[in-house]
Amino acid sequence: MESFFVRYRNLLVLLAILLAQIVGLAVQVRRINSTGRSSLDPHDGPGVRLIRLWAEAIVSPFERGIHGSKLGIQDIWNDYFDLRNVRRQNQDLQQTIDRLRLEQASLLEDARQGQRLQSLLGFQEKYIYSTVAAQAIGSSGNLQSHVFYIDKGSLEGIKPDMAVITPDGIVGKVRDVFPHSAQVLAVNDQSSGAGVILTTTRIRGILRGNADGQLMIVGILADERIKPGETVLTAGGDLIFPRGLPVGVVEKVVRDPERDAFIDVMVKPAAHLDQLDEVLVITSLQPRFSDQEQKDIETSEEEKGSEAQAIKDQLKASQINAERLPGLTDPNAPPAVPTAGAAPSQPGQANPAEPTQQPPPKLLPTLHPDRFSPGAASTANNGADANSPVGTTSKPDSQTAQPAPQNGPGRNL
Amino acid sequence: MALLGADARRDMEIHRYPLIVYGLVPLLALVLQAWLPRPLGRYAWFDLPLVVTIYFALGRRSPIQGTLMGAAMGIFEDALSHRAIGVNGIAKTAVGFLAASVGIRIDVENFTIRLVLTFLLSLLSSALYLLVYSVLLGFNLEWSWLVQVYIAIGNSVIALILFPLLDRLQVRD
Repeated sequence: MESFFVRYRNLLVLLAILLAQIVGLAVQVRRINSTGRSSLDPHDGPGVRLIRLWAEAIVSPFERGIHGSKLGIQDIWNDYFDLRNVRRQNQDLQQTIDRLRLEQASLLEDARQGQRLQSLLGFQEKYIYSTVAAQAIGSSGNLQSHVFYIDKGSLEGIKPDMAVITPDGIVGKVRDVFPHSAQVLAVNDQSSGAGVILTTTRIRGILRGNADGQLMIVGILADERIKPGETVLTAGGDLIFPRGLPVGVVEKVVRDPERDAFIDVMVKPAAHLDQLDEVLVITSLQPRFSDQEQKDIETSEEEKGSEAQAIKDQLKASQINAERLPGLTDPNAPPAVPTAGAAPSQPGQANPAEPTQQPPPKLLPTLHPDRFSPGAASTANNGADANSPVGTTSKPDSQTAQPAPQNGPGRNL
Repeated sequence: MALLGADARRDMEIHRYPLIVYGLVPLLALVLQAWLPRPLGRYAWFDLPLVVTIYFALGRRSPIQGTLMGAAMGIFEDALSHRAIGVNGIAKTAVGFLAASVGIRIDVENFTIRLVLTFLLSLLSSALYLLVYSVLLGFNLEWSWLVQVYIAIGNSVIALILFPLLDRLQVRD
C-alpha cells in the first residue's frame, strides 16, 4: 500500500488538486438560470470573496506603487518641462468655457421645461448628482475577463452596480467592492450588458463585448437604416447608467452568425476603454441638478444677463448714432398713414421695438395673366358664375386676359 | 533530443534557486500581469504566470512542485478576474504537471526546445481553459483562437528573454 502512494504520488497529488478545484467550481456554479443553462452566481460566496480579497490585497499595493510612480514622473514632466503652448491653450480653454456657459444657459430653459413636463407626466428623469473620481490601477490580466481595479472602495462610498464613466462616455459598472479598491466590469466584457439606443433611428438594443473585446449591440432585427457613424447613447432602462450618456458611434453592421434575421452592430467606444487612467463613479442619481451644477447655472445666467445688457447698450448706441446722422428720408414728405391695427405712437418718440410701417408692395403686372393671376381670379369666377354651370371651367375674360401695360422698370420677366 | 532515464536526468540537472526567488518571481509575474494590460490595452498578448510556471516546472523537474505552482498561479489569476475561481487553476495545474513530466524525460536546456514547449503548453492551457469553461461548466464563451496563438507567440518571445535571466539565479554547486 505504501509503495502505491509512493509510486503514484505525482498523479495522486495532481488528481487531488484537480478534484478540489472542480468541487470549488461546482459550488460557485450551482445556480441554473431561466434558459436551463448553468450560470455563475453573481454574488460571491464568503469563501470565494475571501480568496478575491486576499489576491487583491497582495497585488494592489504593488499596483498602487507602480501607478503612483508613473503618475509622479508624468506630473514632473507635464508640470515642469512640457509647458510649451500652455498659455495659448489656457486662453483657448477659457474661451471654450465662456462659450459653453452661454450655451448651457440657453439650454437651461429647455431643461427646466422638460423637468416640468416630466413631473406632469409622473416620470422622473435621474440626473448625475454626485461622482467620485478614481484612478484605474490594475486589471485582471486576462483577455477573457475585461475587469479593472480602481483605487476607491467602500470607505469612499463605492457600492456594487454603480456606473463608471469618463467625460467621453460610459466605461462599466462596479462589480465587487473592497475597503480601499473596487473591481469594475468594463462594458466590453462578454458578460456585461447595457441598454443603449441609436440616436437617429431610435432603435434600442443591448450592448456587450465580444471575444476580441470590441463593443457590439446584439438582438437587433436587420434594419437598413442603421449606418456607420450613427451615435449611440445609453437608454437608461438597465438601472445602472443614466439615460443619454455617450456610448460610441456605429462602426459597422454585421449579420448575426446564429440568427438570420438579426444583426450585430459593432460600436466604436467613445471612452478609451483600453487605456483608462481616471474614471468617475456615479455614486448618486437625483431628479434635480447638483449643487455644483446649480452654481454653474447661476454663473451662466449672470454671464448671459451681462451679455444681453451689453448687446442692449450696443443697440442703443447705434440708434443714437442713427439719429445724429443725416437721414435718407425726405423731411418734407407727408407723414405715413398709420395702419388700422397699429397703436398710435407719440410724435417725435421713436419706438425701436416696432419696425416702421411700410406700405404694402405693389403687385407687378404679369406678362401672360391667366385666371390664377392676382386680380384675374375674381373676374373669372364671376364669369363662371354668370355664364356656366357650377363646377365647369370657363374661358378667361378677354378683358382680364389682356397683357397688362408694361410701364416702368420693374416689369415681371 | 537526448532521451535519458527519468531518475538519472532528474538527479543530474535539477535547478535550484534561492528561496526568495520562488516567492518573488511568481509574485512579480502576477503583479506585472495585472498591471501591464493597463498601458498595453488589448495588445497584452502574454501570460507571465504561465511562463513562470513552465520555467520552474521544466527546471525543477518535479511534477508535484509544478502542479502546486500551476494551481497557485491559476487560482490567483482567477481571483483577480470576475470569472469562477478554478478555471485557470485547472488549466495551469495540468500544464505545470505536464511541463515537469516532460522535463524529466527530455533535455530542456536547449533554447529551441524550451521555446517550442512554451508555445505548445500555452496553446494547451488555452484549450483546457476553453474546455473547462464551455464543457465542464456549460457557459457561453466567444473564443478567438487567433488571439490565443498570439498569446502563445508572446509567451515564447518572453521565454526567450526571461529564461536565460532566471538561469543566472540558479544556485550552482
